[in-house]
Amino acid sequence: MRIRAARARGLAAVVCASVLTAAPRTKMTCGTCHRAEAESQPKTEMGTGLLLGEAQAPLKAHPKLTVEENGYTYEIERKGGVSMYTVKNAAGSLTLPIRYAVGVRNLTFVLEYENRYYESLVSYYEENQALGITIGDQRLHPHSLVEAMGRLQTEADLTECFGCHATRAVSKGKLTLDALEPGVKCEHCHEGAEAHLEALANGQTAPVPRKLGQMAAEDMSNFCGQCHRTFETVVGQGVFGERNVRFQPYRLALSNCFLGDDRRIRCTACHNPHEKLVREESSYDRACLKCHAQKQDVTMEGATEKACPVGEHNCAGCHMQKMQVPGAASVFTDHFIRILRAGESYPD
Amino acid sequence: MRGKRSVRAVVSFLTFVFAAGTGHAATFDELAASAAAARRSNQLAEAIGLYRQAVDLKADWAEGWWFVGTLSYSLNRYQDCETAFQKFVRLDGSRVPGWALLGLCEFETGNYDGARTDLARALVPGSDLSKDLEPVARFHYGMLLTKAGLFDQGRRQFEPYVRGGSPEPMLVVAMGINGLRRPWLPEDIPADQQDLILKAGKAACAWVTRDTTAQDTFRELLNSYPAAPGVHLLYGMYLSAQPEEAQAEMRRELEVDPHSAAAHAMLALSLMPGDMAGALEHAKKAAEKTADPLVDYALGKALVETGALAEGIARLEAAERTDPETLMYHMTLAGAYSKAGRVADAGRERRESIAMARGANAN
Repeated sequence: MRIRAARARGLAAVVCASVLTAAPRTKMTCGTCHRAEAESQPKTEMGTGLLLGEAQAPLKAHPKLTVEENGYTYEIERKGGVSMYTVKNAAGSLTLPIRYAVGVRNLTFVLEYENRYYESLVSYYEENQALGITIGDQRLHPHSLVEAMGRLQTEADLTECFGCHATRAVSKGKLTLDALEPGVKCEHCHEGAEAHLEALANGQTAPVPRKLGQMAAEDMSNFCGQCHRTFETVVGQGVFGERNVRFQPYRLALSNCFLGDDRRIRCTACHNPHEKLVREESSYDRACLKCHAQKQDVTMEGATEKACPVGEHNCAGCHMQKMQVPGAASVFTDHFIRILRAGESYPD
Repeated sequence: MRGKRSVRAVVSFLTFVFAAGTGHAATFDELAASAAAARRSNQLAEAIGLYRQAVDLKADWAEGWWFVGTLSYSLNRYQDCETAFQKFVRLDGSRVPGWALLGLCEFETGNYDGARTDLARALVPGSDLSKDLEPVARFHYGMLLTKAGLFDQGRRQFEPYVRGGSPEPMLVVAMGINGLRRPWLPEDIPADQQDLILKAGKAACAWVTRDTTAQDTFRELLNSYPAAPGVHLLYGMYLSAQPEEAQAEMRRELEVDPHSAAAHAMLALSLMPGDMAGALEHAKKAAEKTADPLVDYALGKALVETGALAEGIARLEAAERTDPETLMYHMTLAGAYSKAGRVADAGRERRESIAMARGANAN
């Protein structure tokens, strides 16, 4: 595996060198040198975390969705290539176009009304292919059509939302929706990628973006946690109880096996950010066994932690609970890796 | 009304009887009963005298000391109050209102260190201070922390009451002193700075309440006092979500007050993680100026992020020691321990952080 990664890095360097010597120079993109990543990443969950217009496939597949919540009727209907979000009750109705559908498997909508932005009070959930109350909004009891339509977003809310689900949507802490590119693109994580491309176009390599692959677990949790929420963010915001199961870096940090200076428990030990999320639990066994020796192979290099007395397959199935966020039709994998006890309350 | 008069008459009679020494030496029970009657009839000075006689007979009567203390406080006899509550907490240290009232008396007598320690004891998470006493205790504690230069810790005491809406003028003043990072009590404000403090207080309150007028109040403060130390620092902290603007304000603060350790420290924090070299430089400059938890925190964080783990951890530990109530210090220290492979220490700090955050939410 290491050899393959080193070869891939070497290949990128060779490609870069060949690009630099080639004449005439063609317009360079990240994919010129990093072809595999550039091809696969846009199809990943992160690459498709914000859907605009025609890309809103779940809404196209379900041209009319309806749900009754809080005494209001919500309807999302596809009309002339645009999905329209309607909320109505006996007093009247409000219809707005869905420009931004935010999320991966579940979609929440950012709606514009009278020059302000609102987060829709209902979302689309893939699990049951239906609308339901947006996670976190269960406690709201709207008193008007506008309140029922959505939750008013502050500049900070929008910066956080678009800053993670899009690229170039935020510049120097300010919202720049005109420049927005949907989803997470190379530049989003690899800060300086554009300057690197520019340098290459001028026959140089420097500056080279920071090598993210060198980070150990704590640093990587903080890096990925900029969007997936770090320990500091979750605790600082006081997000306690089962709703914080969504925030993987926070949950992972609570695990006994989380060693901040070790690479074997960092985010990319299990997840390749350039590939689609692997949902087959057994495929993660390899990562667990890097530390926890198999019973028949206690001498495995580096595997210094004790072997599981129960099994060696589907580790995540037992040690990473699947949980539904209360009130929402979403199931998350709890990244607090632990020995689960029968009847235990949610630990956090 | 008639009833009140008759009670007073009885109390006066009993007081006279005991004072005159008719040959019948009052028993403890008699003194306690007449002290209670005097207190109930609002004859506070008499009640104090009777309670004093009672505790002279029975020095371990906590309730007696309690009433000597509370009644003395009502009559602004703070020295007597302090002595009484010292006796009370020695007899029953588990009742936090005693520590709160002792702290309040010490505040009035000028024993500020003692007041800070005792109010802190009264305000431990989960303490059962009444809804009347807690705001008073917390407000005084906040002022004492501010006077001691523990500005962030002090501000946190005020914030819940500012968020409650329509803060009282004294609270606005306290927020102003704290916001400009002056180690003062309200009575220390020079006459020519009262308006500055008030304007700063209004801006700081509007920031805490996320009032839509916050920007206007800051504009008024900046226009009125562009060269007053602390003004640009406060505005820069308000702008912390916009790093470039925040940094510009910190730099303006340093033009106004080149010795501002807080401005160097805040600038350092604002430069992270984009400009770690710059952050480290400013954090080191801050540390040259003063020893302060915020400065230790900024330098510790910069050192940890630039790979000087041991040195950084030592700074973060110092910040936490001086200001153990700042959640961010615990969380950053947890991360630093984790980076250093100190799993047990990281776990302890993480658990502590969660407990603190849960406590804050419960309040």
